[in-house]
Amino acid sequence: MCLQNFPCQEVERHNKPEVELKTSPELLLNPVLICRNEAEKCLIETSINSLRISIKVKQADELENILTKKFLRFLSMRAEAFQVLRRKPVQGYDISFLITNYHCEDMQKNKLIDFIVQFMEDIDKEISELKMSVNTRGRLVATEFLKQFI
Amino acid sequence: MLVGRFQIMASIAAHKFAQCITCHAWSPDQTMVAFCPNNNEVHIYRLVEDKWEKVHVLQKHDQIISGIDWSARSNKIVTVSHDRNSYVWNQEEAEWVPTLVILRLNRAALCVQWSPKENKFAVGSGAKTVCICYYEQENNWWVSKLIRKRHNSSVTSVAWHPNNILLATTSTDGKCRVFSTFIKGVDSRDSGTSLASDMKFGEQIVQLDLCFSWAFGVKWSPSGNTLAYVGHNSMIYFVDDVGPSPSAQDVAFRDLPLRDVLFVSERMVIGVGFDCHPMVFTADERGIWCFSRFLDERKRAPSSSKYGSQFSEAFGKLYGQSKQGVRNDAIDPTKPGGGVHENCITCIVPLRKAGDGTVTRFSTSGLDGKVVIWDLESRADLSL
Repeated sequence: MCLQNFPCQEVERHNKPEVELKTSPELLLNPVLICRNEAEKCLIETSINSLRISIKVKQADELENILTKKFLRFLSMRAEAFQVLRRKPVQGYDISFLITNYHCEDMQKNKLIDFIVQFMEDIDKEISELKMSVNTRGRLVATEFLKQFI
Repeated sequence: MLVGRFQIMASIAAHKFAQCITCHAWSPDQTMVAFCPNNNEVHIYRLVEDKWEKVHVLQKHDQIISGIDWSARSNKIVTVSHDRNSYVWNQEEAEWVPTLVILRLNRAALCVQWSPKENKFAVGSGAKTVCICYYEQENNWWVSKLIRKRHNSSVTSVAWHPNNILLATTSTDGKCRVFSTFIKGVDSRDSGTSLASDMKFGEQIVQLDLCFSWAFGVKWSPSGNTLAYVGHNSMIYFVDDVGPSPSAQDVAFRDLPLRDVLFVSERMVIGVGFDCHPMVFTADERGIWCFSRFLDERKRAPSSSKYGSQFSEAFGKLYGQSKQGVRNDAIDPTKPGGGVHENCITCIVPLRKAGDGTVTRFSTSGLDGKVVIWDLESRADLSL
């Protein structure tokens, strides 16, 4: 995470995250892909002034799929509050972070990394909790519903 | 072995001027410091009775200022900015008066340096060009001549050879190049070495293709015999005999990459960068360069335990074991505890004593907004 202020080479008086533009191949580094399996992976793309971390969260079944989608959509809608969260995930991933040199200037780097790791830990926990509550609720509703037939 | 021969070098003064400093420069008598607080202004502070006092604010640019250089003899400040412009500031009584330099750039300017004779300055730019600017008496302004074509990417750093003719540049295409900047009417034929004087303006003398990543921070040694530059792949490169057959050495280190270097003497280099701790590189009798030590006392033992703890922590995270309480304690000492700087160091500037050209003191500034002055306490160090 060694980022620096770097003005755009292609457009006059602009300063854009190179990892998003991808106009000058020499300013990009090789992306790193970390996979546990097909369903859970993390892609780290780096450039001279920005880096992008994209995460695909484990989705074992349909229910988890829906929950993840809804929950991460809820977060992405509030991306400004998180600063480093990207509004739209990268194609093929559930959620993306975009860290630029400006974030490194006013935040501590290790805390940023901590935040993302914490976020990844929490997301799994959150989703399994949501799933549990949906299941319990489902079971309760079903019991209540079926009671009338007894 | 080498470590024992150094006296303690300590930071003698540190002052937090702003949230974030992109670059800084010292006045010739070193009583004033000019820096850019990560915006479009240059602030000049003067040390009055152990207190820094803001004396001037130079406002003319309209984007972030990427380079400042204060000439030692003529007392002129040159600034370059991402807004593609450059100004030369002249002190007229109490005021600093800007003169626009016609850079003819269509992209951001990234770095600037006065030539040793202070009749020219070089500007590296995001337009993949280098501008050599000189003063034209009859028109009363600074004009620029461009070195085009050679660079394949942004020019990140420029450095003048002591002979006032040769210019070294580094670029994000990973190459370090040396050019001749002979300008008729500005330079005289006998001023350069034999190598430099028969070269035309903009002629490339050598292209060094050692680095596989972006190259930053190029500097010449005081004699001009050795060239040092750094790569983003945590390497530092030393090049001797710059010319048709250069000999190069590379030194890899295990910490985060460097951003800038400074020759303290012929055989000692200080490197600063993302690691927040200035590093010392030294050459032995045979001229073999190696990493010697960190400048601020970062103890070796805790640093190794730090690496260990990070690993175990990562494993802990992987297997979902929550070690919250332990983690915060383990991480914290890595950053603010260790050194003076708390974020990436972007700039290192020598503080030359009037009279002789030796460097015993230098200052660093970084994204944490501090300017730190370092002192090489014993002069014996310089003989290294």
